[in-house]
Amino acid sequence: MQLKKESKSVRGALALATCSLLTGTSQGVNAASEEEWEVDSAVLFYSEGSDRVSVVEPVVGLRKALGDDEYVGVRLVVDTLTGSSPNGAIPTDEVQTFTTPSGNSTYTAEPGETPLDPTFRDTRIALSGEWEKPLSERLKGIFSANFSTEHDYQSAGISATLARDFNNRNTTLSAGASFSQDSIEPEGGAPVGLTPMPEFPDVKETQSASEDKTVSELLLGVTQVVNRRTLMQFNYTYGIDDGYLSDPYKLLSVTDDTGNVTGYLYENRPDERSRQTIFWRTLHHLSEDVADVSYRYYWDDWDISSHTLDLRYRHELGGGHYLQPHVRWYKQNAAEFYHFKLDEGAVPTYASADYRLGNMTTNTLGLKYGFASSEKQEYSVRLEYMTQSDDDGQFEDVDAVILQANYSFLF
Amino acid sequence: MTEASSLTRNKDHWLGRFQAMASPCEILMEVDDRRLARRLLAIAHAEASRIEHKFSRYRKDSAVQRINHSDGQPLVVDEETAALLDYANQCYELSEGLFDITSGVLRRVWRFDGSDRIPATNEVANILPLIGWHKIIWRRPKITVPSGMEIDLGGIGKEYAVDRTARLIAEQSDASILVNYGGDLYVNTPRRNGCGWFVGVENPASSLPLAEGSESIHRFELRHGGLATSGDSRRYLLANGIRYGHILNPATGWPIEDAPRSVTAAAATCTEAGLLATFAMLRGAKAEFFLRTEGVQYWSAR
Repeated sequence: MQLKKESKSVRGALALATCSLLTGTSQGVNAASEEEWEVDSAVLFYSEGSDRVSVVEPVVGLRKALGDDEYVGVRLVVDTLTGSSPNGAIPTDEVQTFTTPSGNSTYTAEPGETPLDPTFRDTRIALSGEWEKPLSERLKGIFSANFSTEHDYQSAGISATLARDFNNRNTTLSAGASFSQDSIEPEGGAPVGLTPMPEFPDVKETQSASEDKTVSELLLGVTQVVNRRTLMQFNYTYGIDDGYLSDPYKLLSVTDDTGNVTGYLYENRPDERSRQTIFWRTLHHLSEDVADVSYRYYWDDWDISSHTLDLRYRHELGGGHYLQPHVRWYKQNAAEFYHFKLDEGAVPTYASADYRLGNMTTNTLGLKYGFASSEKQEYSVRLEYMTQSDDDGQFEDVDAVILQANYSFLF
Repeated sequence: MTEASSLTRNKDHWLGRFQAMASPCEILMEVDDRRLARRLLAIAHAEASRIEHKFSRYRKDSAVQRINHSDGQPLVVDEETAALLDYANQCYELSEGLFDITSGVLRRVWRFDGSDRIPATNEVANILPLIGWHKIIWRRPKITVPSGMEIDLGGIGKEYAVDRTARLIAEQSDASILVNYGGDLYVNTPRRNGCGWFVGVENPASSLPLAEGSESIHRFELRHGGLATSGDSRRYLLANGIRYGHILNPATGWPIEDAPRSVTAAAATCTEAGLLATFAMLRGAKAEFFLRTEGVQYWSAR
């Protein structure tokens, strides 16, 4: 099911349809696309600034129609991360020294600086395959498998979704399930939660050399064609994460009554999380342009909840050129065990100072320019600026720039 | 299987005639060679008959009959039928559901014979559940028509036959040729003298047949392209002082109100002209407004 883009005039659209009828090009086009591979390639560059994380991510995807609405596709993503990531400790007036996760060396944070772990570098390779197959006149199955690997982390997953059309294909109901099994082999082993970071050359207390977790998710969705110009989508997902959910490299600063840092503890998160999202999206075609609005509400039993509002507007410039401004607003309420730091003598069962679990607001502003030079190829480039700030005014703002270049073609 | 055709020489062209699709068919050919004229006429006659037989609602062995007797089972159709179904689907969407090839079942209650016998409201209402292209599952090359429903390609067939014939003839000759199947026409290229063919559109108030020299009210010079008419002066009912035209609204089962008696439209092809004229009729009182805003060259009679 797809939203029909309205032509400028009935006459123009009719002329085109008649031409296809009389020249037989309609089936010609179908036949051609069935034999061709659709290739989607992109390079994404993400940077949080000079000292911090940057990512270079090439992506290549291939998709081929097997006829009769059946498709197969594969996708390969390679991420290369370099730079430093906050280790969870707070900045102080003094030089702070930390033992690296492997326990082989130390690194320091200058007074007033957010402590960053410089050993944070990795390459991740992810491969996924998808198969979309009509199972009956109005029922479609989408099956996929994915695998990713990096030096300390592996993940393998499968998913299946069934989509059934109703109401003259104006309504599509979907139900899906996915499951993945992940394993982590942290540098120097998985630390016992809330035990102190040792002073080099001592080594940390570990609970195991490797840990694992499972991620399961159920999805229910409705897509509704509201009218010739408007398409609406509602989704609900329920997920359960089970297993080792802590970040073995993250620390919490412990302070005494006077606010002086007296030590650092490894973080400890619950080993289960159930989470839910509701998602609403509306696509509206104007005469040429397309407005895309979506809202997501997320909540889980770690007490995290978040709102995401996303607006895109595709403006056709004519001749295959388009501009697409993008605005995104994200607001998150912290996990119940999130602490910017811990007080000495008041160590809870679970605690994390990972800023990604804190109270925060993220704003993104972006612009994409695309050009379809022919039916067979399209170029686009996207530039976005993102700023993440702590609603409690504690952690340092994170500013990031995202640049992506994309080229898709048929061959 | 085909009835005889006739070929006569006029002063500067050949005129071929035959009967097909319940209409008089003519081919006007600006060629000198009698053998070529005969061959082109034979091609036209064969193509018109082929399309008539393939898409007739009345012939048991036609593609349309097979679809209409598929008892709700999916049926695989050939490439040409598929192209016409795709086209019918696009016309359905472009007309916002007014052009609907499943509305032919309304003929069971509506007989436009010039009488005053309009059907009872409940007769029409009983037919309505059998109408609606959206109830048909069309997934190329498979169509599933619910039991009791029917499709009818009559609203496209004659114009399609004109364009198909013109294309087949163009493969044989580049002479100026006018194809006229029951008043739906196409001219491939201007005549040797640079002029077009002069065609008349009959006055709906009279019942003179369309032919050269008839006292048609409107004369078009057709140099290139298609011309088609929707509406028929002889197909109506008259009851209680109200004239019921034969263009029916698939949503209500009743004639479109305030439609012109006929609309003639010009376009690049005959099929396109025919659909533009039909779309206009389906808009009732707004027929001419539609044609004007779409920038169509037209002639309407009220």
